[in-house]
Amino acid sequence: MRLDLKSKLASVFFLWVCAFTLDWPVNATLILLAILLRYVVPGFRPTSQRAARSIVAFMSYSTLIVLIVVSLNAVLLPGGDVLLIVGGIGFHESGALFGLRTACRLVLLSLSVLLFFASTPIREFIRFLQGTGFPPQLGLVLLLTLHFLEQLPDRINQIFAAQEARGSPVRANVVSRARAFVSILFPLVLSSISESIDRGQALELRGFLGQGQMPVFENRRSDTSLLTMSLILLSIALIILRILNWLIA
Amino acid sequence: MAHRVILESFSYQYPGQVTPALADISLAVPKGQCCALLGPTSAGKTTLLQSISGILHKHHASGFASGKIVIGDESYAPLPEEIQFPKIAYALQDPYVQISGVRETVLDEIRFTLENLGRWDSSTDDSILSLLRHLGIDHLAERKPTTLSGGETQRVALATILIAEPDVLLLDEPLTALDYVAQDRLSDLFKGIKERSTILFTDTHMEFALAVADVIVVLEKGRMVFSGDRKGLLDHIDSFESILPSHQWKELIRTVKVSQGPEATEAILKAMETI
Repeated sequence: MRLDLKSKLASVFFLWVCAFTLDWPVNATLILLAILLRYVVPGFRPTSQRAARSIVAFMSYSTLIVLIVVSLNAVLLPGGDVLLIVGGIGFHESGALFGLRTACRLVLLSLSVLLFFASTPIREFIRFLQGTGFPPQLGLVLLLTLHFLEQLPDRINQIFAAQEARGSPVRANVVSRARAFVSILFPLVLSSISESIDRGQALELRGFLGQGQMPVFENRRSDTSLLTMSLILLSIALIILRILNWLIA
Repeated sequence: MAHRVILESFSYQYPGQVTPALADISLAVPKGQCCALLGPTSAGKTTLLQSISGILHKHHASGFASGKIVIGDESYAPLPEEIQFPKIAYALQDPYVQISGVRETVLDEIRFTLENLGRWDSSTDDSILSLLRHLGIDHLAERKPTTLSGGETQRVALATILIAEPDVLLLDEPLTALDYVAQDRLSDLFKGIKERSTILFTDTHMEFALAVADVIVVLEKGRMVFSGDRKGLLDHIDSFESILPSHQWKELIRTVKVSQGPEATEAILKAMETI
């Protein structure tokens, strides 16, 4: 099934509602399902190799983050049984559960957003926004920002390559990489802002905000409106259930 | 249709600056002619182009301007307050920023201009391809614009504004990133579009200007130190030694003038047109 943007946005919204309303075992299952989505649903396939790599990198970093959050909470929040003792430090059950709840929520929230942007070309997204009546001026700002983000890794690599050509060991190890990154961050951001201003000016000079406006692309027929509606209704039902749960408790 | 461009005692001072960026500039470029604005960096060349395009007032409305700018039959006192595209098209110095980056192919990037003007339909693709052929970049039509080399980007940037068929074409350092072959192509292009558009371009070197320009203006620190034709510039070449760094040509011209007399400058000009 090929998902349109509305269904994808509804899926993200549904996952966000789940993250806030459901407990960690369901959220953990949803995380695994979301990862599976990337492989089985064509609409969630990454648009480029870089996007695919970013999902893999996210998964490895989030595993590390889950481990850290769970361990810290298990150590710092006493309560319940002691699950294990390492070097005299006790890991408590209730802290570990709290950590799992928090970490799964964070990972599900960020994974859903990442999946959406990794599988949606910028142009497609702007086309969708314009179709919903988004003003072209805001479209321009969004385009420039997203274009800047898209170009950022290449720019960093270029600067690193230039530094390496001058004999600076910027990619020797994690520490030198981090130090080099901090030193280029400020000029990088400044030059990017300046370039964005120039690009905006060039677009103006091509009539972008003049008598014309950025064209609204053709509307594509959606065959997944049932899915969109179902996801939205399911999300609303989850919110209501959660509120009732609080009221009864 | 090409329009004349006239500046009458035009001056401009950026907000917060104590000295004017342009002081008492008077020049006239007849319609369908090509004008080169020469001079070192910070001479005021870009400010002059921005004043004509309308973007200077739009972005620095509190700057102080005086004098008058005339484009065709329209007079602006002291300068246009709105961007005049597509009547006047202006290509920025950095060709990379001319590419919007939001379109997937070169063809689509150029369509974007026509779409903004509400002029695009499927038949205009033929005009785009014809323009790309003219610029020698038709083979790039399906390439992603952000993956092109410097010279290719320069030509695509030019195509993004030429497609609007402007009456006045303003080009800020169009030779940046162009090799000699591409410079020749640009020279041919200028000759081809002069009937359609009056051209004003800036440059820091004089070889290209001597080969293509009908009117040459030399600026230094915001003031006009020369205005005339190519022969006039060559006759006064010694006066601009410090501001027009083109040692090889100067040497050649000086040698020919000394050995064969001043009339030889005509021969040099003719020779340059054929190079």
